[in-house]
Amino acid sequence: MPSASRRVLTGLGLAALAAAVLSFPSLAPNPYILSAGIVVLNFAVLSTSWNFVGGFTGYISLGHGALAGLGGYGTALLVTRAGLPSFVACAVAALLVAALAVPIGLAALRVRGASFVIVSIALVLILLLVFQSWAAVTGGSRGLVVPRPFPGLLRPEHHRVFYYLFAALLALALLAWWLIDRSRFGLGLKAIREDEDKAEALGTPTLAYKLIVFVISAGFTALAGGLYALWFGDLDPVFQFSILTGCYLVLMALLGGVRNLFGPFTGALIVGVALEYFKGRFGNTPLHLVATGLLLGLVVMFMPDGILPALGGLWRRLRRNQQSSIREVTAAELRDEREREGAGR
Amino acid sequence: MPSGGLVFQSVILGLLLGGLYALLAAGLTLYFGIMRVVMIAHSAFLILAAYLAWWSHERLGTDPLLSMIVTVPLFFGAGVLFQRLLLSRLRPITLTMMSVLLTFAVALIIEGLLGYAFTGTQRRIQLSYGSASIGLFGARIAVVKLIAFGLAVVALGGLYLLMKRTTFGWALRATIQHGDAARLVGIDTDRVAGYGFGLGLATAAVGGTALSLDTTIYPSLHWHWIGPLMAIIVVGGLGSVPGAAAAAVLLGLMQSLLQIPMGTTWAQTIFYLALFATLAFRPQGFFGGRLAQRF
Repeated sequence: MPSASRRVLTGLGLAALAAAVLSFPSLAPNPYILSAGIVVLNFAVLSTSWNFVGGFTGYISLGHGALAGLGGYGTALLVTRAGLPSFVACAVAALLVAALAVPIGLAALRVRGASFVIVSIALVLILLLVFQSWAAVTGGSRGLVVPRPFPGLLRPEHHRVFYYLFAALLALALLAWWLIDRSRFGLGLKAIREDEDKAEALGTPTLAYKLIVFVISAGFTALAGGLYALWFGDLDPVFQFSILTGCYLVLMALLGGVRNLFGPFTGALIVGVALEYFKGRFGNTPLHLVATGLLLGLVVMFMPDGILPALGGLWRRLRRNQQSSIREVTAAELRDEREREGAGR
Repeated sequence: MPSGGLVFQSVILGLLLGGLYALLAAGLTLYFGIMRVVMIAHSAFLILAAYLAWWSHERLGTDPLLSMIVTVPLFFGAGVLFQRLLLSRLRPITLTMMSVLLTFAVALIIEGLLGYAFTGTQRRIQLSYGSASIGLFGARIAVVKLIAFGLAVVALGGLYLLMKRTTFGWALRATIQHGDAARLVGIDTDRVAGYGFGLGLATAAVGGTALSLDTTIYPSLHWHWIGPLMAIIVVGGLGSVPGAAAAAVLLGLMQSLLQIPMGTTWAQTIFYLALFATLAFRPQGFFGGRLAQRF
């Protein structure tokens, strides 16, 4: 595809997407749907933040839910204990979590694959333990109430404001991902994903790169967590430090496609809507766990690259006959083509 | 300063607990050794076995230990099928990461189905010998804890003999040490891996039954076990069965001793402290484990 028309198409697509996201609040029939939209956007931000580590370096973290929880609790405690203004607290909490991510990352990123996943799970479990037991500071299982940033607003208006805040944060996260994707830094990260030993041998400072991107990811995750705390107004350790949250983020990113800018967003749209549906459909029964588990299993078994690449492949296959320009082919495709030609002769 | 008797009691209980931990973690090291798979669902299978023991006791009035006649072969078969039908179909290059997610999905499904079948109510087996205890040099030890420890010793001893004395064990160890070389000398590593997985899940059946004897169980309990078990296999060195056993006993002992000054909840943190200390100072694990650093 010529690059000019491609650029126009991309621009049009982006504009359509932005219009769709921004017009949702005025289309939403009631505040409940609007709040569901916020939940989905929150998931989209978290999943995109997760994808800084997961997509670029291939390190799968199941512990990002804990970083969001830390952001939420940090924001809440800074507002209630230190008396900071809400959004300043949110930013400070994100910086603190990013700072905390340095030692965590140094310990966790020294080991690869399996051990890293284990550490990320341990992170969630230990924080859950601490925040439940340390009730004097965190409120424990009784929960922690976060004062609202706009006390004068009615509930629907409150939802609307936070919807746009989440949309802005999503745009910021996507922009950061896109910038890294095109940078030399991003190239180094992707080299780590493909073959860490070779990347290191070629002079990529792998530990520093991994650590930097982990800290960026933690910062964005904490921002989203803090914003969620300000919106929702009530924190409970069981939900803030849940492995399930981390699992949802991974599921969303994988389902959409971790190598695509909009992969996690697409995944969040699908999984987020599905989660709301399961909750409504199965109510309080634990069957929503079964449904989530089945969905995750199916994605891992049959669509590990995600929906966007699968759709892209389909699109290419449909257009194949009309295509005349030079295109990339794999060795396998080339061989198939030769064989077909050989058979036709 | 706690009294000598209390410390002695804690040491005994810690050793018994460590033995049980060793049994529960043995399966995890097997899976990791054979296929580099981190099996998140292991503790979910433990809880499943515990529920089956509770259910057979509740429904049929049999001793919970008898449920193993059914659960051990059942879990063995499930393990073989799980490896052959699902894990072996994942791409080798991303196997470790994807297997984490796949086993996570299985854990969620088990938790959800347990919650659906038995509700979230906490369950506990009422045994005639449940409150019995014996005295040993002034320490009181509950009989059920001794039975659980005995099960662990028997199961781990059986596993050890199987690994060292049988042709299958020889093939399994060869597969763990060097899969390609094992294939070269004519071992059907796929089949061995399947049976190895079955073996791992069979230990989960035994461990879950041991657990059911004196724990209150509920569907989401498996999250509570994942952390300590994962910490044990990392401290022990991923893939090393003796390393995991040593780490299990040591950590069980430390947890039990720390409960005196810190209380049960905070004593739990020893597992995570040990995990982070291991990664910071000796990522390949403190006992054995040549594999860990690369995975």
